[in-house]
Amino acid sequence: MDWLAYPAYGLYLVLILLGGLGAIFAQSLVRALLGLILTLFGVSGMYLLMAAPFLAFMQILIYVGAVSVLIFFAIMLTRPSDGGEAGREGSRGLGRLLLGLVAGLVPVAILAGVVIRKAPTELPLKPEASLASLGQYLTGPYALAFELISVALLAAMAGAVLLGFERRRAR
Amino acid sequence: MTPLTLYHLAALLLLGLGIVGIVSRRSLVGMLIAVELMLNGAGLALVASARLTPAVDELGQLGALLVMGLAAAEATLVLAIILVVARRLGSSETARVSELKG
Repeated sequence: MDWLAYPAYGLYLVLILLGGLGAIFAQSLVRALLGLILTLFGVSGMYLLMAAPFLAFMQILIYVGAVSVLIFFAIMLTRPSDGGEAGREGSRGLGRLLLGLVAGLVPVAILAGVVIRKAPTELPLKPEASLASLGQYLTGPYALAFELISVALLAAMAGAVLLGFERRRAR
Repeated sequence: MTPLTLYHLAALLLLGLGIVGIVSRRSLVGMLIAVELMLNGAGLALVASARLTPAVDELGQLGALLVMGLAAAEATLVLAIILVVARRLGSSETARVSELKG
């Protein structure tokens, strides 16, 4: 059944590609967000394919469940530009697009060359990491990072609340 | 091509899409979406490197989990900043958000 992994990988790659193209080229920001969600599902599928189901479900829970809802709030609460439809972005010039393509292609081409040339030989897949051992690592070697990320989340939430209290300033 | 290379190329695709988006998008929310794409690529590369090499599996997976947590924190803060910018300057387009005229 090993060969089945390649069509599955191709399917997830197509999801990532279509979603990503939608996310960066869609005129409407809501459609861009839908593209991002499609990409997130594709990445989650790749986690499943790597036998990391915990991460796959965390990806759906955190990204699709929380982060994309936050971005949707950002789209709704910001004012449309030029009195146009809410969440619609003006068309970008060709120059900007070219600039973006150059900026994106150069590092990706360099890194892809390194990845392909320095690829290690194929190894057998390790057994799936159990949830219990993940928890043990979280309270062992990663205890400090675990605590720090809770502090970072708390600081981000407190900062967001503080920024939200600001009154509209007279211009 | 080994599976590791395939996953790394998928992660690079996400990175490239994110960079193109962050450079060419005109609104702050669109740039935030592009940043999320790049962070996803980072997580994918991290997990692939941990799963498909002799490295310790759990460390890579938990590292990707921490990346997800940081992405959530970052999205919260960026949302608040975008709201403040939109309220103060009346727009969230990068070209309009400028007070210095020149």
